[in-house]
Amino acid sequence: MLSEKTGIHLSIDQGVRLAPILTNETEIGGVRLIDEQVRYSLRFKPEDIAAVRKASQLDLPANIGMSSIKGGQLVLRLGPDEWLLISDLSRALALKQTFATLSSKFTCSVVDISHRNLGFIVHGENAENILNTGCPLDLSLHVFPVGKCTRTVYENTEIILLRKAEHEFHVEVWRSFAPYLSRFFETSVTDKAQIRMGARDDK
Amino acid sequence: MLLIKCPYCEEERPEIEFSYAGEAHIVRPTDPSKMDDTAWAEYLFIRDNTRGVHYERWYHIHGCARFFNAVRDTISDKFIMTYKMGLPRPADVEIAKVKE
Amino acid sequence: MKNFRKTGRGRIRRARLISFTFDDRQYQGFVGDTLASALLANGVHLIGRSFKYHRPRGFLGAGSEEANALVTFDRGPGRVTSNVRATTLELFDGLVAYSQNNYPNLKFDLGAINDIFSMMFPAGFYNKTFMWPKSFWDKVYEPVIRKLAGLGPAPTEADADHYASLYGHCEVLVVGAGPAGIAAALAASEKGDRVILADEQNELGGSLLSNPEARIDGQLAWQWLDKSLETLWLRKNVTLLSRTTVIGYYHDNFLGLVERLTDHQGDINPASPRECLHRIRAGKVILAAGAIERPLVFAGNDRPGVMLASAAQTYLNRYGVAVGDNVAVFTSHDSAYETAFDLSDAGVKISSIIDLRADVSEILLQQAHERGIAVLTGTVVCGTKGRLRITGVRVAKFQNQKVSNGTEHIACDCLLMTGGWTPSVHLFSHSKGSLKWQDDIGAAVPDMANENTLSVGACNGTFGLSAGLEEGSIAGGGGNPFRTEETEFGTGQTWQTLPTNRDPSRIKAFVDFQNDVTEKDINLAVLEGFKSIEHVKRYTTTGMATDQGKTSNLNAVQIASKAIQIPVQKIGLTTFRPPFTPTSFGALVGHRADDLFDVTRKTSIDGWADDNGAVFEPVSLWRRARYFPQGNEDMHAAVARECKATRNELGIFDASTLGKIEVVGPDAAKFMNLMYTNPWTMLAIGRCRYGLMLHEDGYIMDDGVIGRLADDRFHVTTTTGGAPRVLRMMEDYLQTEWPDLNVWLTSTTEQWAVIALNGPHARKLLEPFIDGIDLGPEAFPHMAVREGTIFGVETRLFRVSFSGELGFEINVPAHYGRALWEKLFNAGKAYGITPYGTETMHVLRAEKGYIIVGQDTDGTITPDDAGMSWAIGKKKPDFVGKRSLARADIQAPGRKQLVGLLTTDPNIVLEEGAQIVATPGQSVPMTMIGHVTSSYWSTTLNRSIALAVVKSGRAQTGSNIYVPMPEKTHEAKICATVFYDPKGERLNVV
Repeated sequence: MLSEKTGIHLSIDQGVRLAPILTNETEIGGVRLIDEQVRYSLRFKPEDIAAVRKASQLDLPANIGMSSIKGGQLVLRLGPDEWLLISDLSRALALKQTFATLSSKFTCSVVDISHRNLGFIVHGENAENILNTGCPLDLSLHVFPVGKCTRTVYENTEIILLRKAEHEFHVEVWRSFAPYLSRFFETSVTDKAQIRMGARDDK
Repeated sequence: MLLIKCPYCEEERPEIEFSYAGEAHIVRPTDPSKMDDTAWAEYLFIRDNTRGVHYERWYHIHGCARFFNAVRDTISDKFIMTYKMGLPRPADVEIAKVKE
Repeated sequence: MKNFRKTGRGRIRRARLISFTFDDRQYQGFVGDTLASALLANGVHLIGRSFKYHRPRGFLGAGSEEANALVTFDRGPGRVTSNVRATTLELFDGLVAYSQNNYPNLKFDLGAINDIFSMMFPAGFYNKTFMWPKSFWDKVYEPVIRKLAGLGPAPTEADADHYASLYGHCEVLVVGAGPAGIAAALAASEKGDRVILADEQNELGGSLLSNPEARIDGQLAWQWLDKSLETLWLRKNVTLLSRTTVIGYYHDNFLGLVERLTDHQGDINPASPRECLHRIRAGKVILAAGAIERPLVFAGNDRPGVMLASAAQTYLNRYGVAVGDNVAVFTSHDSAYETAFDLSDAGVKISSIIDLRADVSEILLQQAHERGIAVLTGTVVCGTKGRLRITGVRVAKFQNQKVSNGTEHIACDCLLMTGGWTPSVHLFSHSKGSLKWQDDIGAAVPDMANENTLSVGACNGTFGLSAGLEEGSIAGGGGNPFRTEETEFGTGQTWQTLPTNRDPSRIKAFVDFQNDVTEKDINLAVLEGFKSIEHVKRYTTTGMATDQGKTSNLNAVQIASKAIQIPVQKIGLTTFRPPFTPTSFGALVGHRADDLFDVTRKTSIDGWADDNGAVFEPVSLWRRARYFPQGNEDMHAAVARECKATRNELGIFDASTLGKIEVVGPDAAKFMNLMYTNPWTMLAIGRCRYGLMLHEDGYIMDDGVIGRLADDRFHVTTTTGGAPRVLRMMEDYLQTEWPDLNVWLTSTTEQWAVIALNGPHARKLLEPFIDGIDLGPEAFPHMAVREGTIFGVETRLFRVSFSGELGFEINVPAHYGRALWEKLFNAGKAYGITPYGTETMHVLRAEKGYIIVGQDTDGTITPDDAGMSWAIGKKKPDFVGKRSLARADIQAPGRKQLVGLLTTDPNIVLEEGAQIVATPGQSVPMTMIGHVTSSYWSTTLNRSIALAVVKSGRAQTGSNIYVPMPEKTHEAKICATVFYDPKGERLNVV
């Protein structure tokens, strides 16, 4: 951002460098770091959902563990009174206004957590494998369908997981845990490239 | 690793998403200043440590982030039921029914 | 060297001869061999020395149940594994292995003297012998025991390999790929359910691999096997895992599987993990783990060349190896006849079949007769001959429960034994399923399951190919589509110790081969009063070796049952515990080694600190810059310089790790009043207050500066390490005690990078870069918070001080942290800006008497103990911990209170944690009245300072106390906790 007073530019640094093996586009896929995004934690009493939805024009999912995906904007319902909104920067100002209005009208909590989390896209046929290297959830499509989201764990990190497509997951993690998480992804992909676990012995 | 059904997520989830949070249905007195030292100590420190059916609290800390209650058999380690915070302690008959 | 390979038999790949080395001697074998089968093919039976008596031992089995054949597998530096079973070690070109537990060599082992003096090593030998004197433990007993104990050498280098792990899920997990397991997998996978079929061996097939003559659906076993595996392989919903041992069965159908990936490969790919731990959650578990043949307990049953009959069958049919030229068979079960016939058909001489039973099936006798094999029924082996290899057996007639005196010698170079079959119920037991005794097979079988699991085939006590296939298929949800033609599995008897015509006190009949436990040891344990099977196990160590008694447990239980005179059904089995077979630490660690062992949290400014030579220290999961040495500075010099610069000019500090919680909602102030000791209702918007948080027991839990941003919004800071537990406790009270409050909590620790500027020049540096905030001392007083922008980026700017100097804490969204730091640092050079770390921060705050929770408090310190009664909102009706502060013992006099200490010798820096006494020279134990909590050299004051907790300390201000240390007792005077600028005037610098 550029300062009016000083004219000096402050640069953004998300603090993660992905290993080439993750970013190389291969047929089995890999991991991308998502550029800076806008994130809000939105909290209100579940009984207000219809009213808040109307007032905010936000597509708030009705069930815990479900999400809405519209353009560059995701809304995840993580708990009974908790929604996470993630959007690309183009909507930053509009969202700021929306939430200012919302805060004045409803009993709720809006907290900007844009820089608290980093987002990764884990994609490709190998995506489930990368995630199941550290995440204990059953990620098969019939158990964890497209649109499902949840907070969970990946080894020693807490993550938020959203399935955007059969072979595409959005992973949110707190900033300082991101390098550890991406190193874990890296090991998973490296090992996968080296071995075929469960493969039949060629005679 | 146990599977625990979170009553808010309405799903069975792996134990490592949860954190144990002590015995359930111990209500903080509304006016602690009115209590004598013995009664306060009772509230603060004394727990049942039941062998068998135990009422306890769990925290879905790496999930929906809600505290909830559970009935668990401390001998078999099996969860008999889980229920939302604020709901009354299930009666013995309800527990027996679920156990069936 | 004679070759024991039989043409036309086995599944080894004869196309390629490969070389391997055992005890520095080179041998040859084939791909498909195990080390055991390849050695046997070369006529080598002597494989190791036993644990206690150093008796020569040979191969007992052919699989993971092996008790004797433990070797050291050497793949070079960092890849030496001891106690590997030669029977499961797959052969590859260039394999190197060594025998263990012998000196100077395998054939002549000095340790064997233990065998001669074995009467000195009865059960409980260690417990009885190394009792006293106590002083002998460190210097004599322990070193000696350590030298004698154990088998293979411990590794001397770090593991050169790495390991993988993976979570997996399936509807059905089938454990064991024998016929029952394959039938189960075929049926279970038919409708698309995810099925995992795991087997510990390199090839799937289980008993079929040793039994090529069996016929299923008109096909020979191996044809049926190939076809079935092909079917499974082609189903996308099926995962076949060979070389994969299910090591443990845990709650709710969670199982640990270790897949071995490289141990069988001649050329190691160092990039490949050695093993992968699969953590599988299964809907249903079908256990098809098979059964293990049971040895017979008779004198000399451990001599090299004495082996389980089923092992000999496996060596012959799977590896094409005859275990001898002249083989005797000793049995109490029909199944041994099959092995004898297979060997005979392969051209091996069967010297005789010695059967304990008087009545043996006519069909078997007829078949033996046809092959010219002598069968001695009602006969028992009373002893064996041969030193490094069996040369013969002594047999005697056993009739009407009596063994005749006359013995006959039968020459043989191998003795096969069958004492019955033990279903592998290990995993079923891990899952807390109960067992029941089944008398006809003399073994325990699964009874009530505790998980959604079914046992099928031999592990369920269901023997025979046809029955196993049917049980497996039905368990998998299918019918029984298989037709089989097989030799009937037959029946048998199980025995404890076998009858003998020799003096039982003079013979060694082994029960547990790996731990060298004899039948005598078990009887002795019972005689000495051990009546519980668990006690007998621990006293004799039977079943406690690395094989966990796979071949010995049932014999031991039955011998103990007889000795204790409690029926075996009632005596119970010892507990089976994971892992099923020895498991590498690496597999359990998985990926979590080195930098993945745990998270190291780094702030957005950490990279700058790293680039600028910071020395780091861990603070909870964070790593923080401790100090920034210049040139050859040590910590002392660096900290002195950093302190001086901050007091006199300007210091810059990364405070990003401070925990932050945003408390938002109309009831925010009400909630804060309940959670913190301080009053919050009247705190004006834009002002800050120091907050103190107690546990409900009244002791200090956390503290931090809290700013009010709006009526309904507080920016709460916590200690670095306390952030998670503060949030958790807040959530706990909010959700469970005060759910009606309209307030929400959001962790914002990582949203904000926090840069602290401390020192007289702080305002001057900051002012030009700030928009929207008047930094003037009146407009922006100490303990205030403002929102504006810095370099155009939104900021929450706090005027606070943890150093006593004019201070600002600049919060900016985290991704801007480093850029802002660099701008401020560069601009700050004009003011002599100096980066400082946590060590300087500690000194500066101690000079001001500010506590650090967890250092100056220890979970037993109340606000009054810490001299912070001022932080308590006296008028508040309630807050967490308030009631406890009124408890009698919290009010009682004589509590430890936080005070300052000034040593009489200003150069002495006391040791943190040192104990304090009232008078010097007391006799030991002295009466301790407190301890030092913080202690530093203060450059500012040019002397040492310390904080301490001392009983009734505040009332003793001005008195001397003493700190006895090994070299000297130090004297110090109790003083106030604020050492520097007690009036706080330095905060007001303009």
